[in-house]
Order: sequence, then C-alpha cells, then structure tokens
Amino acid sequence: MSEGTPTKKAPYVVPIGPIHPALKEPVQFLFDMEGEVVKKADFAPGQAHRGIEWMGMRRNPIQIIHMTDRICGICGVTHSFAFARAIEQIVDIEVPAHAEYIRVIIAEFERIQSHLLWAGVAAHELGFDTLFYLAWRVREEAMDVIEYITGNRVNYGLIQVGGVRRDITPEQHPTIQKCLDGYRDLLGKMLNLFLKDTTIAIRCKDCGLLSFEEARNLCTVGPTARASGVPKDVRVDYPYSAYGDLDISPILPTAYGGDINGDVYDRIVVRLLEVAQSVEIIETCLKEMPEGPILWEPKLPKLLSACKKAQGEAVGRHEAPRGECLHYVAMDGHEAPAMWKVKASSYSNLHSWIPMLEGEQLADVPIIVASIDPCLSCTDRVAVIRGAKRDLMTKEDLHQLSVEKTRRIQGC
Amino acid sequence: MALPMIREIFAQVFKRPATNPFPARFLPPSVTEFLKKVGAGEATINPPVATPPNFRGKIVYDRDGCIGCNLCIRVCPAHAIEFIPETKRIRIYVAQCIFCSQCNDICPKGVLTMSPEFLLATEDRFAESQIVE
Amino acid sequence: MLSMDILLVTILAAIGLSIIGIALGLILLGIDRRISARMQARIGPPLRQPFIDLKKLLSKENVIPENAIPSLFNAAPIVALASSIVVLLYLPIGSMMPILGGYGDLILVMYLLAVPALAMVAGGFASGSPYATVGAQREMVSMIAYELPLASIVIAVAWLLYSSGVADPFALTSIVANPIWSLVGPLGVVGLIILLLTFAWVSPAELSKIPFDTPEAETELAGGVLVEYSGKNLGLFTVAQGVKTLVMGGLAVAIFFPWNLSPLFGLTGYVALTVDAAFFFAKVILLMILSVTVIRTGLARFRITHVVTLFWVWLGVAGLFGLSLVILDSVLRGWF
Ligand code: SF4
Ligand code: SF4
Repeated sequence: MSEGTPTKKAPYVVPIGPIHPALKEPVQFLFDMEGEVVKKADFAPGQAHRGIEWMGMRRNPIQIIHMTDRICGICGVTHSFAFARAIEQIVDIEVPAHAEYIRVIIAEFERIQSHLLWAGVAAHELGFDTLFYLAWRVREEAMDVIEYITGNRVNYGLIQVGGVRRDITPEQHPTIQKCLDGYRDLLGKMLNLFLKDTTIAIRCKDCGLLSFEEARNLCTVGPTARASGVPKDVRVDYPYSAYGDLDISPILPTAYGGDINGDVYDRIVVRLLEVAQSVEIIETCLKEMPEGPILWEPKLPKLLSACKKAQGEAVGRHEAPRGECLHYVAMDGHEAPAMWKVKASSYSNLHSWIPMLEGEQLADVPIIVASIDPCLSCTDRVAVIRGAKRDLMTKEDLHQLSVEKTRRIQGC
Repeated sequence: MALPMIREIFAQVFKRPATNPFPARFLPPSVTEFLKKVGAGEATINPPVATPPNFRGKIVYDRDGCIGCNLCIRVCPAHAIEFIPETKRIRIYVAQCIFCSQCNDICPKGVLTMSPEFLLATEDRFAESQIVE
Repeated sequence: MLSMDILLVTILAAIGLSIIGIALGLILLGIDRRISARMQARIGPPLRQPFIDLKKLLSKENVIPENAIPSLFNAAPIVALASSIVVLLYLPIGSMMPILGGYGDLILVMYLLAVPALAMVAGGFASGSPYATVGAQREMVSMIAYELPLASIVIAVAWLLYSSGVADPFALTSIVANPIWSLVGPLGVVGLIILLLTFAWVSPAELSKIPFDTPEAETELAGGVLVEYSGKNLGLFTVAQGVKTLVMGGLAVAIFFPWNLSPLFGLTGYVALTVDAAFFFAKVILLMILSVTVIRTGLARFRITHVVTLFWVWLGVAGLFGLSLVILDSVLRGWF
C-alpha cells in the first residue's frame, strides 16, 4: 500500500470533481492511480461558464465595468482595472494621477485579502482548520478597510473608465494606516505559523514540484511562476498606473532565504511575502499620493459618448493576485464593444497542474490543486454542449470555427 | 518537531471568540414568530454588524424630483430599471439590482440614492419591498 | 437459581451502562467540538449538539449505493457500535469494577478495540465507492501502524505487574488495583511517561482524528470510509465514535491514572461509586482534551506514509524505549 511497494493491482481511476470538498469551484479531475500514487492526471474545466462576455458585448463600457467586478468572487478590482485600462487606451483617456494611486491602493489591498484567503484555503486542504480560521480572521482587517474605502466588501464598484468613483480622503488615512500597521505586526506570526510548522513543512516541501523550465514553457503567471523562480510580474515588467513610480521587484522564494524548489512550500512563501510587499506599496502610495481629480470626465453622459465615438482595439493588463489578467477590447463606433475577451490569470496556470500532480500521492492532490490558487469561474469561457453530451473540440474544429466567425464579421 | 500552533491555541482559549453572533442564540422553531416577538419587544436579537459609511444597500428613489430623462436606464448594468411611459417615471426592480449605484452617479437630479438597508431577502421577487417606484 | 439472578443483574447493568456510555460518549464529542472551537476563536456549537445531530441522522433514511453489498454495508455500523460498547463493559469505571471483568483481560480489550476499525474497513469496501475503497485501505494501514506502539504499552504494563508478583497481570482489575507508578523506580517513571506520551499519540489515531484522519480525510476523500454512509447508519457510526472516545479515555485512566477520590475522603457505598465515577469522567475529559482536542486542533493532516513512519519508526522506537526502561528498572531493582 505505502510508497515503494509496487502493487500488482491494475491502476484504478479516482475521479475528483466537478463537485468535491477539496475543490472550491467546479472542475473535474481524473486520476489513474497505482496504490496511493497518481500515475496520470487529466482535468476538464468548463463547468462554470456564465457567458459574461456575450452579455458584455451588448452593453456599454460603463455597464461592463460593473460586470467585470463580478467576474471573480475574490478579485473585485482586477478585472475592472484591466478592462478600464483597455478602454482608456482606445478612447485615449489620461487617468488623473490621484486616481491611479487610489487604484493601486485598492488593488494591493485586494492582493492582501486574496493571498490571505488562499492561505486559509491551503491550510484547510491540509486539514489544518485552525490555521484556516486564523488566516481568514486576519483577512477581515483588509476586507473592513476595503469596505471602508469603497462601501462594499466584495463588489467594490470603485473603478470607472477614466478614474475611480470614490476618493480616499486624508481623514481616511489613519484607519488605513492602522490596518497596515496591524499587518506588519502580524506578518512574523503568520510566517512562523505557516513556515515553521513541521506538519505543514512535511506536507508541502518537495510536493507539487514545478521546475523553472516547466513554469516558463507552460507560460505560468503570478505567484505560481515566481515560486518556480520565474521573475515575472506585470507591475514590474510593464509598469502601468502608479506602479511606475514605485520601487518594487518580483518576490521569489529566495527572499525567505531558501533555495528555489518550485514546490507548494515555495508558493506559500511567495504569497505571504507578497502580503508584506503590498503593505509597503500601500503605505508608499498613501504618502506620495498627488492631489487632483479622481475622474477624467465626471459627466458620465459625456464619457459615454466619447466611448461611443472611439474606434480601435487594445489590451488592458493588470497583475492580479493570481498573476497577469488580460482584457482585450475592440470598439467600432457603437455603444457596445465589438469584441471583449477576458483571460483570467488562472487560465495560464491550470496546465501546470499536470506536471505537478503526476507522480504525487492522492493525499497531496487537494493542496497541489489549491497551490496555484485556481479561480475557475473567472477562467471558464466555453462549455460546449451538444444535446446532452459534452463534446471535445480539436484544434482543427476551433480553427474552422474561427475562420467562419471571421468571415461573418467581415461580411457585416 | 516545531508546532507553533499549539501555543497559539492555548492562548486563544482564554480570549474572546471572533465570531459575530447570530441574531438569535439558537435557531428558533419559527423565524417569523421570533421576529414578531422581537418586533413586540418580547425577545432581543444580536444586532447585525454595522454597515460602513457610503454602504450601497437598497435603492431609494425620490419620484417627485425625477424628470424622466432615462439616463439611469442607460447605465444600469443589470437592466433593473424600467421606464413607465404613462407617468414618465421609472421603476426599479430591487431583486435584479446589483447595487452598483451607477444610476446614482449619472442622475442629473440626484433623486436616486443608496440606503444602508440590506436585509432584503424574500421569496417573491415582485413583492412590495422588492419594487421601488 | 442464583446464577440466573447474577446473569439478570449483569444484563441489566450492561444495558444501563451502555446507555450511560452512549450519552457520555456523545457529551465527550460535544466537549471536544466546543473546546476546539474556542481554540479556533469560534463560539462553537452547544454541548448537546451531538445529540441534536444524532436525532436528525436517526430520523433520516439509509441510502444504500447501487453497487454496495447491502448486508455488509448495513452490518458494519452495528458491529462498530456493539464492539465499542462491549469494550466499555470491560473497563473499570471509577471504583466500580468492570461488569464483564471476569470474562476477559487487557489482551481481549486490545483485540476488541480493533473491531470498530475493522467494521469501518468492511463497510468501506462494501460501499463500492472508490473514495471509500481508498479510505478503507488507509484505515487498514493505519491500524497496522498504531498496533506496535500500543502493544509495547500493554506489554510494559503486564511486565510490571508480573514482575511485582501480581496474579493475573493482564486483568484490568489487577491493573487498577495496583497503580503502575507505585511499582517502579525513577527510571521506570521515565519509561512510563514515555509510554503515556506514546499512548496520547495512539489515541487520536485509534479515533481517526486529525492528524491521523487519513481514512476519512474530508478534503481528499470526502469522508473516505464513511462517504456513502448516511442517515441511521451514519448515526450509529457517530455513536460508536463517541463510545470509542470514552473507551480510549477510560483505558488511559485505567492504565495510567487509576486513583480514586473515595479513599481520600473515606467515602463508602453508593456515594463513593458516584463520586469516583464522576472523577473518572473528569479524568477522561481532561485526557481527551489534551490528547485529542489539542492535537487535532493544532496540527495538519498527515499523509498515510507519514502515519506509518511516525508509528513504526518514531513512536515504535519510543514505545520500545519506554518498555525497555520499565524492564531495566525492575531488573535493576531486583538486583539492589
Ligand atoms: S444600483 Fe446599479 S443595478 Fe441597481 S438600479 Fe442602479 S444602476 Fe441598476
Ligand atoms: S436619471 Fe434620475 S432624473 Fe433621470 S430618469 Fe433616472 S431617476 Fe429620473
């Protein structure tokens, strides 16, 4: 049964998902097992497709902004940020510096709460519920400040095309500062509880390995890539918004003093240290925030007509807590965009599951799956259903379909 | 073996729990009965957690100030607002509203606002409480 | 006709004790959940929550999966519960001697303790779900794993009694009558402390609690051996779990902390029985909190390979070391 003793039994199949306690969102895994060891892994996303792009292509940018808030249940600003940046490039809007700083502040608060949420989930997958409660309790501080700034906890509704909808006034600084100080004090404790704990270390070290080459070849993004040593961070590589004014560098596991192994443990290290980095960023932004308006055009009807007149296409990018989030938008002089495509960060990371999972124990599947912090509802863009049966589309099928669609668009 | 959590949990036993208590200590046999009692002052509930300033709850509409310009309908992402041609006024379906407050921002007369009210669940999406006009 | 009377009394006492045992077991589960909740900064459920859960489970129907073996599937929870109750009847509770004390000894108790786990394994295999199968395999592995340290504890105790010239060294009654701590010198005390700590790690494994809950592993196997169980069957397993918790605590008390309060205050009769029983339960609660609640709250779940290594290498060595210390101690004392 245990490792090392090869069993003569034929490999059996363990399905996990689409609904399973280890998965916080629906995705299906199939594992060919030999004893407790995963021999072959496969997965099928596409269980949570909501057709949000279709809805977006029937609405104007101001409406879409609020839909982007709801693409993800955790990242309330990531998608709006990326989408707004795409529109701003098409319409040629210059966002006031003050607003850029507010955007960065809220995006970093989002990173804090998202990483802490992930830390809790990871602890839960390891059967360490106490740490899960603790991480989520700590996360509440960030949620409270987000609520304090934006008005709501999850759907912030803060970003507007050309700026932000709510200001951060000097009276709000002390509350925010208090939260940041709290996190600075807490960080040592969190690092201690997560990284010094033997039971966590034996479960996470050398588990779910993703080598530097694999991470690079599979185009992984965000903490998943950084934990394998790929120094990749949109905030640093293509500075946008107020990030250009900041002195930041991608966090690699070496920052905690160890080597780069690309295992689950390193992913914990990277995320926890990024919380600390975000605290620093917010603090700097609060200090250096320039004065000015928060919107390019406070009169929304004017903004709407500017968007309607614009033509062109653009890509908006943002380093989400899980990695690069990308929105492609094309406008052709109508109210609604001609094309809107969302690539959530998890989309780039899902394929790293296969090399991570194969050869690992069944017991480690939940934590490995969780270790890339998958966000499936953001990722799922298709669910092909023909009759009652799901169909797989090959590359040729997809090519054929896109040729047809291009013809259709050219025709009209 | 290092188990830093053990110290943490022993310290925690002597601290106050962080949970926000439920409105009632135990699930009452009938929630409606219980709420009636609370209304009559016979029972008490733990109050809900306070909402922050600028919270976006149920929408409030000042009908008299409205000029029927339709701008709010143009920006509502959820198609929650309907224009009533006869009265030249609008009707908002709260069950469909996503509380973005975008309509508040665009209304030239400022007759739309968000209240802090958030306990809105009912079984009927067309109940009186779910329609603002 | 006297033997008939004794039989009747024994049966009545057994039934009475079973009911009390079930109730106490459920209370123990409630205390465990409550304390664990407080350690996690939660308020936690009321103490009677296990009773509420049980009531709900018993009022629900059993769902038997299509490809299960119904007879085995349904028998498993009954066997699990019955065997845990039988173990209880072998345990001395306070100053009350075990009801079935005359019919078995520590070795039998050890065997009986394995039966609920075996029933779970059988039930798991019988449910015909891949999760339950994996869970059942793991349950088997961990059973084999924790048997070694447990055995070294039993042997150490029996050796102590035997070498001190106590008749019937395996009988629980003689173990309780001769507190083992009084039979050893300083070296033996160290050995016994090591054995006690080993026992504290075996208990959560025996009870399938985190970090040893690999057979059930909610986030991996969605409940493992129990995944297909629902309604009344699951209710029976819950009760068995409660009784088992009581039994493990009771066993620890009987072996390591057998002292009673009544001699101290010179109590006799029913008062003494009640006071001692209450004291016994208090000791069980304390031991359970320390060895089950704290450990399950403060640790992450092990992999099954970790469980095997821990019990065979670390705790196995610890157990044997403790055992050798105890033996060495008695041999040395024999010399001087
Ligand atoms: S708050 Fe948003 S969703 Fe609700 S009515 Fe106004 S614009 Fe529509
Ligand atoms: S935008 Fe304001 S004034 Fe115009 S229709 Fe809506 S509520 Fe009335």
